[in-house]
Amino acid sequence: MCKGMEVKICLIGMGNVGTSFLQLLKEKRDNIRANFNFNCKLIAIFEHDGALINNDGIDLDIILENDTNLRKNQHWKSNVKAQDLISTLDADICIETTPTNPNTGEPALTHIIEALNNNIDVISSNKAPFYLQYKKIQNLANKMNCFVKFEATVASCVPALSIKRSLIGNTISRIRAILNGTNNYILSRMTAEGISFSAALKEAQELGYAETDPTLDINGYDAAGKLVILSNELLGWSKSIEDVTIKGITKITPHALELAKLDGYVIKHLAIAEKNNLTVEPRLIKRDSPLNIQGTLNTIELQTKYAGAIILMGKGAGGFEAASAILNDLLSIVKKRRGF
Amino acid sequence: MIYLEVKLPDIPGSLVELIKPVSKNGGNIYGILHHHDKKINNTIPVDIWFELSDELIEISLDNIKKELIEKNIQIIKISVGSKNKILTFILTGHVFDTDITNTIKTLDSKNIKVLELHAKFTEVDEISSVLMKVEFPEVMTKIELINEIEKICKEKNLFLIRS
Repeated sequence: MCKGMEVKICLIGMGNVGTSFLQLLKEKRDNIRANFNFNCKLIAIFEHDGALINNDGIDLDIILENDTNLRKNQHWKSNVKAQDLISTLDADICIETTPTNPNTGEPALTHIIEALNNNIDVISSNKAPFYLQYKKIQNLANKMNCFVKFEATVASCVPALSIKRSLIGNTISRIRAILNGTNNYILSRMTAEGISFSAALKEAQELGYAETDPTLDINGYDAAGKLVILSNELLGWSKSIEDVTIKGITKITPHALELAKLDGYVIKHLAIAEKNNLTVEPRLIKRDSPLNIQGTLNTIELQTKYAGAIILMGKGAGGFEAASAILNDLLSIVKKRRGF
Repeated sequence: MIYLEVKLPDIPGSLVELIKPVSKNGGNIYGILHHHDKKINNTIPVDIWFELSDELIEISLDNIKKELIEKNIQIIKISVGSKNKILTFILTGHVFDTDITNTIKTLDSKNIKVLELHAKFTEVDEISSVLMKVEFPEVMTKIELINEIEKICKEKNLFLIRS
């Protein structure tokens, strides 16, 4: 598995994240070759309606030139499914970026399990498999001696999970975070302008910060999923989303925000992991708190034994942001496979 | 919560000299009591309550003491109370329609004293919000306090936003 000069990659899902990853790979391939001494060879791209498989390597320039080139390619096979063909691939790393059901984790969960069962390392940008079946995936990866990486699932390219490597000699006692940019945008606008929740949500939708159906964001489910992954990775817990006490932001009123201001507070939708409990709910925090960030940003505060509070902050969503996290995961796996 | 008792000379500006080091070192002042009735030898006892960030409490308190001594302010007593004794929270919903007096009395029956209350509403029977600052007994944990508030919220269909 990716011990040589060539790393064979299979991409499942060529939506925004998948396409951004291929563009980033194209942009960075010379740099990767020069600095890490290996070539990335894309051997398969799976889509919902078929797959392009070519063991000699898929030409990124052609695929990215035009949306239709994928299906026009002579190696394109219609109506084939990733879960049926993963076992036939000679891939080193499977990158999973399909649209996934938040309640079942499918089809990503099946793809991840199938890849691991076939001794293929996995990188995923899908949260659901990890907040639903974290332990099962990790156990399987351990059993198969495979790596499974999912940095993009929490705060995108902010190194929320990989910071663990830099804190091996420290102890994290608590995590407090803002993990949903949509909710933070809504609360920021309500606080700044005194507008209602529905007006702020409408604005967020018009600007493309909120989905047409924003339920998973505003009811706190999205942030809860990310909190599960964060606490399992950084605190060594084995939680699932059912363990999180979740409150959304729909009941926050302009009056409540005004009252908070009176006493030097702001209301933020916090995800908190502390004393073996996971909570996602609106909380009052001091106006000068580092967690008082504006707009669609994400932030993560790690309370540590020796460094006090360590704060990470950055863009928590977007195609290239996720693609950058995936590429970091890829380099990390290759380095580990080579014994670094 | 930190309680500080000092003796100040009864001259203009001396109270400001007391407040400066507290404020400079991150103290959030909750109250000041000026005992004019207890003036002796032109000095007045003054009590001040303030809060410091948990992480910096030891350093900040040392700095405050040092600066007060440099200013020749006589410290009579300084004590650090339980850090969890005061909680600020907001309730939203039909806060008035569900009898706010009853809410306060219910808290009081559990030895949870409402120190401050601020309200925002359009009509009494509309959705409204109140900010409450409560003091709770040392024997009660913060989680126990929140459970008591949550019980009221559940009964009255109110939404709790806490610090």
